[in-house]
Amino acid sequence: MSDTVAPAPRPSRLRLLEPVTFLWIALIAALLVLVAGPLLKMLVVSFEMQETGEFTFQNYLTAYGRQRYLDALRNSLLLGLLSAAISTIIAVPMAWAVSRTDMPGKGFTWAMVLAAFIMPPYLGAIGWILLAGPNSGWINQVWRALSGAEAPLVNVYTFTGMAFVIALHSFPLVFIFVKSALDLISSEMEDAANILGGGTWTTMRRVTLPLVWPSILGGFILIFLETIALFGTPAIIGIPARINVVTTQLWQFFEDPVRVEVAAAYAIPLLLITVGLIGVQRLLLARKGFVSQTGKGGERREVKLGPWRWVLFGWCVLVAMLAVVKPLAVLLQASFAKAWGRGFSLDNLTLRNYQFLLFEHDMAPHATWNTVWFSAASATIAVVLALLVAYIVVRRLMRFGEALGFLAMAPFVIPGIVMAIGFYAAYAGPPVSLYGSALLIILAFAARFLPIAYANSQAAIRAVHPEMEEAARILGSGRLHAIRRVTAPLLKTSLLGGWLVVFIVASRELSAAIFLVGPRTRTMSVLLYDLTEQGNFEVVSAFGGILLVITMAIVGIGMKLVGRDFMLRRE
Amino acid sequence: MPRLVLSGLTKAYGRLTVVDKVDLTLEEGEFVSLLGPSGCGKTTTLRMIAGFVDPTGGTIAVDGSALSAPGAVVPPERRGMSMIFQSYAIWPNMTVEENVAFGLKLRKLPREEVKRRVAEMLGVVKLDKLAHRYPAELSGGQQQRVALARAIVVKPSVLLLDEPLSNLDANLREEMRFEIRRLHDEFRITTVYVTHDQAEAMATSDRIAVMNAGRIEQVDAPHLLYTRPRTRFVAGFVGRTNLLEARIEGGILVLDGVSLGPAGQAGLRDGPALISLRPQAMTIHDAPPAGDGLTLEATITERTYLGESWDYVVRPNGTNLKLRAAAAPLDAHEVGRKVWLVIDPRQVAVVE
Amino acid sequence: MFLIDRRQLLALAAWSAASAKAWAQSPLTPAEQALYEAAKREGEVTWYSGQYSADASEAAGRAFNARYPGVRCNVVRSTSQVAFQRLSQDLRAGVAQCDIFSSTNGGHYIQLKRQNRLMQFRPASADGLLPILRQADPENYFQSSFLGIYLMAHNTRMVSEAEAPKSWTDILDPKWKDKLAVGHPGFSGAIGLWALQMRTMYGPDYLRRFERNKPQVGRSSIDPVTMMTAGERAVGVAVPSASTLFAMSRGNPLKLIYPTEGVIAALSPSAIPRNAPHPSAAKLFMEFTCGPALSIAVRELFNESIRPDVPPPEGSRPLDQVTMLAPSLEDAERGVPEVREQWREIFGV
Repeated sequence: MSDTVAPAPRPSRLRLLEPVTFLWIALIAALLVLVAGPLLKMLVVSFEMQETGEFTFQNYLTAYGRQRYLDALRNSLLLGLLSAAISTIIAVPMAWAVSRTDMPGKGFTWAMVLAAFIMPPYLGAIGWILLAGPNSGWINQVWRALSGAEAPLVNVYTFTGMAFVIALHSFPLVFIFVKSALDLISSEMEDAANILGGGTWTTMRRVTLPLVWPSILGGFILIFLETIALFGTPAIIGIPARINVVTTQLWQFFEDPVRVEVAAAYAIPLLLITVGLIGVQRLLLARKGFVSQTGKGGERREVKLGPWRWVLFGWCVLVAMLAVVKPLAVLLQASFAKAWGRGFSLDNLTLRNYQFLLFEHDMAPHATWNTVWFSAASATIAVVLALLVAYIVVRRLMRFGEALGFLAMAPFVIPGIVMAIGFYAAYAGPPVSLYGSALLIILAFAARFLPIAYANSQAAIRAVHPEMEEAARILGSGRLHAIRRVTAPLLKTSLLGGWLVVFIVASRELSAAIFLVGPRTRTMSVLLYDLTEQGNFEVVSAFGGILLVITMAIVGIGMKLVGRDFMLRRE
Repeated sequence: MPRLVLSGLTKAYGRLTVVDKVDLTLEEGEFVSLLGPSGCGKTTTLRMIAGFVDPTGGTIAVDGSALSAPGAVVPPERRGMSMIFQSYAIWPNMTVEENVAFGLKLRKLPREEVKRRVAEMLGVVKLDKLAHRYPAELSGGQQQRVALARAIVVKPSVLLLDEPLSNLDANLREEMRFEIRRLHDEFRITTVYVTHDQAEAMATSDRIAVMNAGRIEQVDAPHLLYTRPRTRFVAGFVGRTNLLEARIEGGILVLDGVSLGPAGQAGLRDGPALISLRPQAMTIHDAPPAGDGLTLEATITERTYLGESWDYVVRPNGTNLKLRAAAAPLDAHEVGRKVWLVIDPRQVAVVE
Repeated sequence: MFLIDRRQLLALAAWSAASAKAWAQSPLTPAEQALYEAAKREGEVTWYSGQYSADASEAAGRAFNARYPGVRCNVVRSTSQVAFQRLSQDLRAGVAQCDIFSSTNGGHYIQLKRQNRLMQFRPASADGLLPILRQADPENYFQSSFLGIYLMAHNTRMVSEAEAPKSWTDILDPKWKDKLAVGHPGFSGAIGLWALQMRTMYGPDYLRRFERNKPQVGRSSIDPVTMMTAGERAVGVAVPSASTLFAMSRGNPLKLIYPTEGVIAALSPSAIPRNAPHPSAAKLFMEFTCGPALSIAVRELFNESIRPDVPPPEGSRPLDQVTMLAPSLEDAERGVPEVREQWREIFGV
């Protein structure tokens, strides 16, 4: 247009300002409180003298001044590597078989992975004590009876035993990662290798698996991080096995006098290791492309395995037996037994353990209620926060949106126990003095599981085309109004899925809770841990049974409302 | 002995027959396209040749030995073929060089020879400077060249291409058509090329097999396919055409009372016949043309300018026919004008 | 099965049925009455319980709730060291949550008293305690609430009575390798006392030699009872008599061993932190603890009575027939952390 037109007056500032800006500011504050605050406080405290608060390196000298403490660190790293390696070995063939082959029993395998996923690791540990105690474990008893041997077949109270038990409850993470990556590979990638002369195994080894290498690596790293942050299993199995790890050592720093400063100094290297691992991951994956770049997928074709499909199915059955069926069977038996050592007989049956917990125990019903409402509250906080942050990031509404996203994802790679110590250092004492309050635990859970909710929300928002909202806004609806009336209803189902997943993982969380609970805020996981101190496995198993029933009810609701695979989806 | 023979090849999924008794023979070094609309069974045929799909009937033989028959299928990796996929299926985790070397390494060739042949091949497809790049760092056309190099370097007995250019933009597609033909001229690999794009098939192929609803309708050289379509489907699918109800009367084609001269094909009986009249077979003139060609008086009823040509709809006077005719951009005629239409009788084909 | 004869059993049964009921329903003493009114206004009391087992603590809590309707007892049971750890975390965070602190490690009280963290209070009922327990602290910052007997026990199916170890030094014999189970001084206060006592009696080498036999290390002193019951280990070291007797009453093939040198006796007090959020209820709980109601409740689960007017539990050897070994509270305060650290160096955990 060549006509000259006088410039229109600028719209007044008020019209430019979206009221929603204040919400963004609140969000940043919330993320600072939940994620950045605890970590920074921990860093600061690690350089502070107890009581006086003077600057010092003494905490680091104390934390690393003893062979035993260094041994614990080394043990943790080895345990993490071993568990992650075992998990990978367990999960990758299963994921490949379920995703790309004609193996039978995929539904069964899927259900067993889900079951292993929802079983809290410390319950699995107790199950395996009952199964693989060197003298009393069922497996060893049967082995001795069958073979006449003196020596036990398996011993859970060993380093490998512990790594194995941890792996049996961590492998679903690798499975989920690898399977969802494999699902994205177009069959043409494999076809191309086949037609050039690669058989099924060559193709899997040289093409299919290398294509999902980032997922395998990602799963490996995640399990490594989960393992070094695990408290329950090392306390339950590691102490009798006489293996000290970082988490049990951190626990010792909380003995009187409570040395948060030393604990913080001791935990900082875990963060460095995390950063290092992520750097290594970047390095390994540099330049190369993986499944995300495969372009349009062609027709999906199941790899025909012939008789080998039964071998793979056998592997899945074996894993299911070890991870789910056997531990669950012995836990159930113990929970209904007068004395679990007396075995499966009618006169050993009793409801006494459940009755004790449900009607006589002072703390059990209270802890159950705590677990339910803490989990619900933290899931709600996490999902709401994640939704808003994801919205800003996906729609690119703010200049520093990416930083918000980074903060929301950060807890994903921070060992849970480090988060817990950060929360303790930042909020347990004055000025806020939240120690022993429900709020402290709810906030810690919300922060810890924010990434799950965030990833979920991000995927969900991406799926809603911005034009849907823009259509509402051009008709005069404000952005928040548009989100509430247009976007949110479209997201409902997937947000519910995210909420339920956070609820489930929060309901079994022990590592973060153990440092933060007070007498009135004990959760089921902490009470269960306290109950295991006496080795009273019948009552412990019964309590575990109650926890599993609650979890399964939630999973059932999720499957009904959200869809069968809401737990095992990776967003 | 022919290189590749498909005889009675059939694939059915339950009641649905997607490939129906296909017979096709390829001589060594021949380049044949399977051309047809989506869902015509061409890709399934190709995947049966590759061994990815088991036939429910018929056989596939290479150099006289059967590779596929119902219940007895040699797996793809033992067919000595190679294939280029719609998605290229370049492995993104390997460099260009590694991609190309893959098939050679599987053949357990000495390392030196692998290196030499890969380098040679990359030179041929002009990728020698990009040997150490990863696919994500390449353009679409370059990725396509990698796919070509990877497939050709193993010197396959048969090269299969499954819509290889459908993911490229128009300019690149044209360039790659010539590239594919050039490589074929250089290596003379027996090739089966699946496409729904007739221009692609025309540019690349020695012969084209037009497929429809699981069957081959016609196999012919590209220009014959165009000028002498044998079926209504082929006439309609290959190029634009006017399909007209005509009659043969004493060996003479008669359209709405107008004689079009003798029917070109032999063995046609008198009676009603369907004819295909290409828009390019007609020229439009402002004034009565000189010469004694077949000329009809007509009126322009519609016109559309397409850039490279005019697309006219004309009605020969005294008929109700609507003929599409093409004309060069400068041959502009107003709607409603009287014109003279000259028809080239050699380009009139009777179809089934 | 039981280590008592029929006559005793009948007598005790008669006692349990009649007297226990009578005691439980006995009217509140004036001291209790006075505190009860104030406690009702506070509504609840939180008890960090490290002395009695989970079952017995819960039983005591229920007895308290039954005796003083309107005041609820929150039982927070853990091992003593963990209870102390939680109390320390409270103090460090400046948060008051604990009304009554009960630990088997008497040293904790000396430390808390020195740090001026405890409230002075002497319940009227303390005058009725066993003579040895009557005056735990001359200044009444803490009161006796627990008498735990820690000894050895064995699984009779795995080790016959003749073969079983007789003294604390017997278990150092290499033939007990891989057959012993024990708690952890980092968790259990009683194990801390035991380890300290052993060090005092047999020198610092005792733990080292004990470690060579690779005992299975649990956390609570009660854990070895489970290990013996399960058949995982044959001999439990420094196990509480109460939990062992309780397991025996359920038909498990266990037998107590009274070491020739004597048993470890944890004569342990309870105290009210100075900043207790429910001070009246805490005082009421203290009256309850030193009074007969607690002893009646816990003796049902085979814990020692701490009052002469409540008989000892079934199957326990009368206290006047056993030698009781115990470090003084002052020794415990200093010695237990030392021996705990030593233990960790030796055992690695």
